[in-house]
Amino acid sequence: MTDTIQKAAMALGGGLMALGIVGLGIVEMLAGKPYGAAPLTNEAGAVVATPAVDPVLRTGLVLAGLAVLGLYGVYAAVTAEEATDEAVEAGTIAD
Amino acid sequence: MNYQNTPLTDTVDVALDGPWTQYWLAFLRLVTGWWFFHAGVTKLIEDGLAFTYGPMYMKGMTGTALGPIPVWMGENLAWLIAPGVPLFETLIGLALIAGALTRLAAVGGVIFMTLFWLGNADFGNGLVNGDFMGLLLFVTVLVVGAGRYYGLDGVLENTAFVKRHPKLRYLMG
Repeated sequence: MTDTIQKAAMALGGGLMALGIVGLGIVEMLAGKPYGAAPLTNEAGAVVATPAVDPVLRTGLVLAGLAVLGLYGVYAAVTAEEATDEAVEAGTIAD
Repeated sequence: MNYQNTPLTDTVDVALDGPWTQYWLAFLRLVTGWWFFHAGVTKLIEDGLAFTYGPMYMKGMTGTALGPIPVWMGENLAWLIAPGVPLFETLIGLALIAGALTRLAAVGGVIFMTLFWLGNADFGNGLVNGDFMGLLLFVTVLVVGAGRYYGLDGVLENTAFVKRHPKLRYLMG
């Protein structure tokens, strides 16, 4: 069960972050200028190209991925078993 | 896979418990800690516990993926943010340098870097910028438990108290 939850957290967390950074980054590149995630301005400061994908969506996906991993960390800490005296004496506590 | 034929293993032990991995993770932790310690302690020298730019910065964080949260914090938690930014930056830095309560400190670093990443919004060259790399450094320190390598957490985790309360390892390591 714990192993399944861990795998799900890894897949979902990593997947959301990869989607926000790489997946939508590819979309941004294919859509042409500005290629990055900020508006492109000319020398006069006027915006000449805006990102195809809202950076708020992309950063939001990354934050969601980090949140999933963070929540898993909290879950792992809360559900970790306390050591028995025998285990302490034998030095068999795992990471 | 036969790792005996991997070229790197002939000269450098790249296993996670190998000496070079530990050495480099400790160095990475040290430099990340110094980065934050320097940022925090210089604010303390200049402004003491009244870093008023902190709340102002948060108030300017409009239109981010965090919604109204940073602006609300800037308007209502200035009493905490003004002293908290220099103080927590310094403490996070010291913790990482010493390798004590490393994971707890790294969580703090992740929160700081998330706010810097979104607040600075320096996305001209894409989402992956220096701020995001800093965020990833803290996540790396957290995930691998870098305080165990040449750090105090390596000593603390071997005490009987921590062995009786292994949940503490989620704050250390």
